[in-house]
Amino acid sequence: MNFNVLLAVSPILAVAIGGLLLMLAEAFGKPMAAVTEGGPVTTDAGAGRSDELALGSAVVLFAGALISVALWKVGPDKLDGVTSLAPYLIIDRFTLFFCFLLCLGGGLASLLAGGYLPEHKLDRGEFFPLLVFSTVGAMALAASGDFLSFFVALETMSLGVYCMIGLRRGNVRASEASLKYFLLGSFAAALTLFGGALLYGATGHTDFQGIGEGIATIGKASSTVSAPLVLVALALVLAGLAFKISAVPFHMWTPDAYEGAPTPTTTYMAVAVKSAAFAVLLRVLLIGFGDARLTSWGGTGWPPVLACLAVLSMTVANVIAGRQESVKRMLAYSSIAHAGYALVGVVAAMKSPQGAPSVLFYMLTYTVSTVGAFGALILCGRRGAEAVSYEDLAGLGKRHPAAALAFSFFLLSLAGVPPTAGFFGKLYVFSAAVDSGLNVLLVIGLLNSVIGAYYYLRVMVYMYMKEPEPGAPIATPMRSGFVVAAILLAAVLVLAFGVLPSTSLDIAAAAGLTHG
Amino acid sequence: MNPLAQALFQLAPYVLAFVVGALIPRRQGKPERFAIGIVAALSVLLVKSLWPSSAAVADENAHEWPYLLSVIVFLPILGAIFVLFLPRQSPVILKRVTFLILGLDGLVSLGLLSSPMTRGWHFQQITEWIPMFGIRYHVAVDGVSMWLILLSTLTTPIAAYVAFGSLKTRIKDLCFAFLLLHGAMMGAFVSLDLFLFFVFWELLLIPMIVMIGVWGGVEKVKAAYKFFIYTMVGSMLMLAAILYLVWNFTKLSGYPSFDYLALQHVVLPHTAAWLCFIGFFLAFAIKVPMFPFHTWLPDAHVQAPTGGSIILAAVLLKLGAYGYIRYCMGLLGGVAWAAAATLAGVAIGGGIVYGALVAWKQDDVKRLVAYSSVAHMGFVMLGLLAGTQAAMEGAVLQMLNHGVSTGALFLLVGVIYDRRHTRLVREFGGIAKVMPIYAALFVIVTMSSIGVPGTNGFVGEFMIVMGTFVSQTLGGQAKLQAGLASAGVILAAVYMLSVVQRVFFGPLSNPKNKHLKDINVRETIAVAPLIALVFVIGLFPNLFLSRISDGVSAVLERYTDSRKAYMDSGDAEVATLAPRQGGPLEHGYPEAPGKKTDTPAPAQAQALNGVAQ
Repeated sequence: MNFNVLLAVSPILAVAIGGLLLMLAEAFGKPMAAVTEGGPVTTDAGAGRSDELALGSAVVLFAGALISVALWKVGPDKLDGVTSLAPYLIIDRFTLFFCFLLCLGGGLASLLAGGYLPEHKLDRGEFFPLLVFSTVGAMALAASGDFLSFFVALETMSLGVYCMIGLRRGNVRASEASLKYFLLGSFAAALTLFGGALLYGATGHTDFQGIGEGIATIGKASSTVSAPLVLVALALVLAGLAFKISAVPFHMWTPDAYEGAPTPTTTYMAVAVKSAAFAVLLRVLLIGFGDARLTSWGGTGWPPVLACLAVLSMTVANVIAGRQESVKRMLAYSSIAHAGYALVGVVAAMKSPQGAPSVLFYMLTYTVSTVGAFGALILCGRRGAEAVSYEDLAGLGKRHPAAALAFSFFLLSLAGVPPTAGFFGKLYVFSAAVDSGLNVLLVIGLLNSVIGAYYYLRVMVYMYMKEPEPGAPIATPMRSGFVVAAILLAAVLVLAFGVLPSTSLDIAAAAGLTHG
Repeated sequence: MNPLAQALFQLAPYVLAFVVGALIPRRQGKPERFAIGIVAALSVLLVKSLWPSSAAVADENAHEWPYLLSVIVFLPILGAIFVLFLPRQSPVILKRVTFLILGLDGLVSLGLLSSPMTRGWHFQQITEWIPMFGIRYHVAVDGVSMWLILLSTLTTPIAAYVAFGSLKTRIKDLCFAFLLLHGAMMGAFVSLDLFLFFVFWELLLIPMIVMIGVWGGVEKVKAAYKFFIYTMVGSMLMLAAILYLVWNFTKLSGYPSFDYLALQHVVLPHTAAWLCFIGFFLAFAIKVPMFPFHTWLPDAHVQAPTGGSIILAAVLLKLGAYGYIRYCMGLLGGVAWAAAATLAGVAIGGGIVYGALVAWKQDDVKRLVAYSSVAHMGFVMLGLLAGTQAAMEGAVLQMLNHGVSTGALFLLVGVIYDRRHTRLVREFGGIAKVMPIYAALFVIVTMSSIGVPGTNGFVGEFMIVMGTFVSQTLGGQAKLQAGLASAGVILAAVYMLSVVQRVFFGPLSNPKNKHLKDINVRETIAVAPLIALVFVIGLFPNLFLSRISDGVSAVLERYTDSRKAYMDSGDAEVATLAPRQGGPLEHGYPEAPGKKTDTPAPAQAQALNGVAQ
């Protein structure tokens, strides 16, 4: 057994072991309080222990992030024997970047949960091990280079999320959200698996590299690969992944699931699940379907399809988001729109070497801004006075300036106003689009950010420029060190990536994949 | 320096951060203080490690202190952040700190006058910011931008002074908005890197929206949205054009740069050049505003508090005209030249004449002044489009004039609004009997706005009309357009004098006006510098023109070169790079990154080539 192999997968292993320990601690720890949500008084394992468990899972996940950084500094190519896990787990700079990103997003989400769950009497311990295991799945998904490990990782990631959505057991909307996501998610996973099976039938390979080589032989006399089969498989894989990144028209579940889930789960879905899906999308498209005929514009290529998805996601989601009355639902639609912007980068990856790095950097900036925005939304409400609709937030800027300032800051970053991280993410994606000659996509994307800016501005208008109606319910901010810590960390990162993006840009550039 | 002292010097920021972090918080135990101190020191480390290695360019103008512009820009921005940490409950402290910072900024900006503003860039400072994209922190001024900076550093304190007098709620937010707005405007005027310019251009949107939306009138939210959407659409199209230019430059020269000096050498094929011009022009035309993009302005002005209106009129609108000079004429001179005659027609028909006619029919005095802004900015744009030395100098001077006289008008309208809470002309009449000093000041400013000889307005408008008459850019229409523009001066007299007549003279019919108090000391202090400037510019314009002319001639030279390169490119399908000319105007040109050291840094090489799996 080569020790280097263990070292190479250490980010994933560390988080997995941490998750096991957390589960043991949760199972055998002494519950503190009874959960009284409808029905008789029951005492779950790990109930009332959110503080310790949140801290524990945050430590585990941040440790995973640190290990990824350390491994990056060493350089994964320096460890011989790393390739012995390929193609099931490919440990390269691309994977390490996403390991860091996913651990960061997961860690911030668990900090948010540490404040949110006790406040809303959802204080059940299983949330944290689920979150950690789901992150393990997400990291493995980003590392996977084979349809088998891809599917296992996808399901590991998704199962945890299904449970985390339905944490509010007695609530009808939460159950609906959970079931909806579960049914549609299983369906999408099945589509992807079916695509993988067809590819195996066509090329005799399950690993992306082998599939790519098989596709490259199409057209040669000796080839046995059936081109129509490959195209059908490509469509199926794309549909399954478009579901996970919630691109229009595969987005129908998103608003309901995001709204019904507890907000930390929503945060986790918006940042980690989406990032992991983008990671594997890039890898499948650039390695598996990186053939020149498939990356061409027009004909049989995927770029026009993805470009349509991108335009639809941006435009439809932005227009609908502008009409929402619930802030959480608005943020759900905004996350769909952001998937659209990132897809522009994926399309650009067909030609430009800047494409893939731009998606990576975009996911980084999107993660910190989104965590911050959801965190601020959590901070703005307490039990019985949760911040849901715009009216709840009316006059918050006057009553609780700090919470309102934090919320505005992250919304500005999501809107892409300089000098925040969100602006740089957009700039990088759009300059990659210009680099690939996608000028129309650039203009559509930029005009969409105007629409986007409108509904982010609307929140600020309510917070600063309107007064609550007399007698109307208003949101009262909660007090939680966990939430404040997560928000502060996110704010520092948003500002750091916005004002001094140079280092992180170089890192994203070094982590990018190129096709072919 | 001995090694020990050097080590201490390097450690100083961390130690300082640690001490500040450990001592500032109240009611904390020793371990907490220690932890906070460590966190502070680590954040300094983070910031230092994120900052790219910098290389400053040696400056020919060695006597000019290169950090002056940075101080002017970042003093208010840091001040805005500082204000956030002051207690909300003590408005007096907040106001004093804001004044102190704005006043200090004004004093520092007087340092710009130490330079005679000869050809080329002054007070230039260049530092690498984001090497991967070729983005640098590049700031400098020339004769055009210098006066706009001085105008802002004069009017912003006045606007703040007025706003503090009339607004009593949420002073902290107001101080924050003023300081951030001021810093962002300064930044937009001095940036020579298009990225930096865009950052400041966007940054000033936020405080302006806050100012309109928080302290505005009844329809404030609608006005804030309108202002926001208009400007955002413009700036997004501008960003698209910038990215396209940068992409072309990268492709042609082999390295990326967002620098103005670099991008002005890109000669685009005709269609692309037109599209880029439209992108830039829309952004600036909305800001100026030019007909038909002016409709946000009256709403924004009417709803904004007096202080906000003054800043909006005096400085923010100038940013549009300044952007046209710097970017439309400098980067895309060929298209600007070709479009000039048509656009001049729009500036005259939609700005000078239509703006004046609409102003004439207004019942709300503030709305009237807002439409008069449209007309005045029409003059400015006409001067820029005419593209002769006299017209351009007149246009730059007219920007200052408009800032002074419209700022003063808004201020005076605010005075009467504070007393009566209405601005409708029919509510007044015969005010001169109860407010004689106020009436006198108002008439003086009106004269300046109309352009009576001896006041500032005359010099600017005269130079513009004169320059337009001989303009070659406008072709055969120049004489007609000069004639029409002079007719606009008459219209200005019609609408301004009619409102003065209706408000100040005639019988004192409305009983509510019988006991109005005359203008008080505070308001007089605020308006006095503007009134003084009316006469200083009007009687001694050469004080100003002498520093403007070299800047303007450089702009015109650039404009002609750009046009020539555009015409020479003919029907070329691809963009080309015009040769460099050297000289003071290209001082600070971004050289290729590999030029100094033969091997590029590994990170950059990876960025350019991408990394194979």
